[in-house]
Amino acid sequence: MAEEKKKTKKPLGHARLIVGKCIACGGRCEAECPKGAVTLNEKGEPVIDFDKCIGCRRCLKVCPASALEMYFTPEEQKILDELAKTAPQTTAPAPEEDDGQAASIKAQLAQYKGVWVFVEQTEGKAEEVSWELLGKGAELAKALNVELCTFVLGDNVEDLCKESFIYGAVKSYLVDDPLLKHYRTEPYYKAICQLINKYKPEVVLMGATPLGRDLAGAVATDLATGLTADCTGLTIDENRLLLQTRPAFGGNIMATIRTEENRPQMASVRPHVMPMPKRQEGATGEIIREKIALNENDFMVKILEIIDDRKGDGGIDIAGAEVLVAGGRGMLSKDNFKILQDLADELGGTIAASRACVEAGWVGVEKQVGQTGKTVRPKIYFACGISGAIQHTVGMQDSELIIAINRDPAAPIFEVATYGIVGDLFKVVPAITARIKELRAQRREKK
Amino acid sequence: MEISNWIFLVILGIALITFFWTCRQKFRLLALGKPEDRSGSIGKRIWSVVIYPLLQRCAVNPFYKFGLNHALLFWCFMVLLLANGEFLIAGVIPAATYANLPAGLYFVLACAFDIVSILALLAVILAVCRRLFFPPKYIQARSQDAFIILSMIAALMLAFFFTHSAEIALGEVTAAKYMFVSNWMANTFWTNTADATLETVATVAWWVHAIVLLSFLNYLPYSKHMHILTSIPNVYLRNLTGSTAPKREEFKKGNTFGAGQVNDLTWKNLLDAFSCTECGRCTDNCPATKTGKPLNPRLVIHDIKVNLLKNGPGLVNGKPSVLPLIGAKKEGSIEEDVIWDCTTCGACVAVCPVFIEQFPRIIDMRRHLVETKAEFPEELLSFFENMEQRSNPWGITPGDRAKWATGLDVKTFEPGKTEYLLYVGCFGSYDARAKQVTVAIAKVLDAAGVSWGILGKDEKCCGDSLRRLGNEYVFEQMAKENIKMFQSKGVTKIITECPHCFTALKDDYAQFGVKLEVIHHTEFINNLIKQGKLKLHQTDLGKLLFHDSCYLGRYNDIYEAPRQTVKAATGSAPAEFERNQERGFCCGAGGGRMWLEESRGTRINIARTEEALAQSPKTICVSCPYCMTMFEDGLKDKNADKDVQVLDIAEVVAKALK
Repeated sequence: MAEEKKKTKKPLGHARLIVGKCIACGGRCEAECPKGAVTLNEKGEPVIDFDKCIGCRRCLKVCPASALEMYFTPEEQKILDELAKTAPQTTAPAPEEDDGQAASIKAQLAQYKGVWVFVEQTEGKAEEVSWELLGKGAELAKALNVELCTFVLGDNVEDLCKESFIYGAVKSYLVDDPLLKHYRTEPYYKAICQLINKYKPEVVLMGATPLGRDLAGAVATDLATGLTADCTGLTIDENRLLLQTRPAFGGNIMATIRTEENRPQMASVRPHVMPMPKRQEGATGEIIREKIALNENDFMVKILEIIDDRKGDGGIDIAGAEVLVAGGRGMLSKDNFKILQDLADELGGTIAASRACVEAGWVGVEKQVGQTGKTVRPKIYFACGISGAIQHTVGMQDSELIIAINRDPAAPIFEVATYGIVGDLFKVVPAITARIKELRAQRREKK
Repeated sequence: MEISNWIFLVILGIALITFFWTCRQKFRLLALGKPEDRSGSIGKRIWSVVIYPLLQRCAVNPFYKFGLNHALLFWCFMVLLLANGEFLIAGVIPAATYANLPAGLYFVLACAFDIVSILALLAVILAVCRRLFFPPKYIQARSQDAFIILSMIAALMLAFFFTHSAEIALGEVTAAKYMFVSNWMANTFWTNTADATLETVATVAWWVHAIVLLSFLNYLPYSKHMHILTSIPNVYLRNLTGSTAPKREEFKKGNTFGAGQVNDLTWKNLLDAFSCTECGRCTDNCPATKTGKPLNPRLVIHDIKVNLLKNGPGLVNGKPSVLPLIGAKKEGSIEEDVIWDCTTCGACVAVCPVFIEQFPRIIDMRRHLVETKAEFPEELLSFFENMEQRSNPWGITPGDRAKWATGLDVKTFEPGKTEYLLYVGCFGSYDARAKQVTVAIAKVLDAAGVSWGILGKDEKCCGDSLRRLGNEYVFEQMAKENIKMFQSKGVTKIITECPHCFTALKDDYAQFGVKLEVIHHTEFINNLIKQGKLKLHQTDLGKLLFHDSCYLGRYNDIYEAPRQTVKAATGSAPAEFERNQERGFCCGAGGGRMWLEESRGTRINIARTEEALAQSPKTICVSCPYCMTMFEDGLKDKNADKDVQVLDIAEVVAKALK
């Protein structure tokens, strides 16, 4: 507030589009405006209603292309110039609505500190995604200058706490209870909510595995906080907010989400998205054993029986494999799948197949990829002799790298493939296998 | 009146009271069903009764020649109603006999009764022989029920002849010489018989006739012959809407959805169950049954009937069901797997002589499974999710819908400017092969100078599969969204690529209060040809075999348009399947089965492909993306894909464009 003879209100101006700079992001400015002063025209550009605009500048801040500027009428400009002459210009903060409320929210949020990663375990064995998240978590903790911790639930799973330290955590919260031996939503989410309410971490990360998806939603709902599932990117912005990025609208846009007014900020990430951090052998940390009262009578779900359906053939679930070498009708016979197996062995992967091969009895139904089979997202998917009809591609099109080998240059598989080889798979596939063997041998010699 | 008349009066009284009581017990169960409006169109209804049951159009079918036997038996029965009516009344009041009518009239009646009795007897003998010696596979030929009925009818006819021949021999019948068979019998067997013996014969035969007739009457409600009582009402109350579209549901808290119990069905559905004559024609035409699946439409209706009879008495008194409608394999329960076998091809409904609606019951039960129990085949999990989230079966981004048009000059539908919306559909937008058909349609429409446009990425799935799979809630949401979009864009005329979109937009959406002018591309292109807007030169595609799409043919009576188009484009009418037009055999993908696997029996699409290959065609012509996929896959499986090509009718025309 300027000390003036008469109270001259500093004009805030109105927001205005810098013509040509708008990238039609979809209207972050429109969403951000507290007064509904921004509407979008058919080109997706903002149109600002000067009567409604209060000059809070929120749209300017949120615009990804910096396409908005503050406009002052000549009269307003005159007042600004006069004010600038008379009093030292302090940067006027943007007027917030309900300043009192905003301050109290801020104070509450400030109580939350720390980056927590959930260590998912089955039968005492940790899911790899937990360690991947520790890698990312370390970055976030560093940016926020807070502790990186894990939380482990199970029965007799203290070893996993120790494992957390090797992957970078400094603290590990442990809830060890026989009732938590096998996963059930209720005991798990109730225990976690108690933990979080007690220790107040600001960021909680979980792997987007089937278990993680079930659990994260339950926790977020109970805590009445925001959860962004299947994130592909996580960073911290200049306001110490977690920026959670994920594809939206069928992958057409990347959405970045902020949990502004609630804590903890929760995000889940799919396995194999974040890189594995390096192991720091010998690293230690603090294990905090938390005793949480759990009463079996409170839980409506009882585990009656656990059926292990991992089959004898190595029991590899193609949905979890990193490399898949898949064959289609073009394989022509069961025996020919051997060349695919050779390539798979070389790459540490598994074979898979389209429906036609399963129908023909060349491979088992557990290897079927497609609409009525499994949906897979491996790092590498070889499609050999697969035409790429939609019923198949829908099961594998989200693979990171798709390499298609087909005799028919018009095969639809080439529309989804990253690399396409038009050729005879019976020549190409063995050639690839041989070359990889060669490269491996060369690498060994170099050592 | 003599003692015998009094005795007969008592017997008749007991028989009639028992009969009416049994009928009441059974028919009051119909009141357990939900309400349904089958009123209106009285003229059409009466006409249906005249044509179908009275003139026996129901039984007579060129593919079921034995139906003539039934027609004969039926008409004999109608005539004999007069005879039996008189018989019963005269049993009480002897004077009430036709013999007391003016001679001319009496002679005509007596002659008629005599002739129809022998005809009926012959018909029964033929029927027995058929069931014993050349039984068709689609009925339960040697059922106890069938033989009881046939024996009773035979007994009645024989009793007739014994009575009247004896009476003729006794000289008591003035119409003797007009009753040819009875007369012959009298003159052949009774010439030397004593009067006393003849009296006994006549009396015994009379009583046999009386007892058998009254027993037959009382047996009716317990046998498949109940159709005598229910078939005419069932025909009268037939579905005259012209569409088999399932009814909408009311999504209100506290409502049940679909049919999980027998009293979730409507009274008309229950009447259907009572009207089944067990003729087995639906069984014979069902693609699932024909390929060895457990689904048998006749048994579905039969199970509904048994379930109603078992549960009905309890339900009427407010007690819960004792036999589940959907449950383990048992008479009166329908297995869940069976419910998913159906392709909704409509063959069962089309061929039923008494207009029973079989497959709509399956959709009712699917609704219960999907909406109330969330129990459905695993393959539908991702399908339902993709439909809800991306509005297409494969979960592909809606932004890719117009990808087929890259490089082509395809316009977006502009309100007020474009006349026709080309509703491409999910297959036509995303499936590699179907996209080629879309391009062909575009080419043909442009060649004719039609004003058309597409919705592009705004287009959503029509929701047909969802509705046929019982996921009515999501279907309703989709339909409402689509209708809102059509209205906001001023869309009134739609050309569809796919027959399922066609049926959905035309019939299913009409239930939401919108009136759209929808036409399938086959009819539209045929109209263009007839209007001279397409210049075609006749292409030679070799022997071209035409496959009727269920949702164009049986659902919408579109048979001629594609055939005329083929003729115009190739110079000759297409070759025909033996099972064609109304008897066409489904490709196997309808009813949401495109998204499901077949785990039992043989594959429906392979069966149809084999049927096609038997005719050694060069080209198979289809008009539906499902049929296209089924045939192409079938040919690949039969290693015939190098020898035979599958073309959509639009592609045939596109090839013929000058």
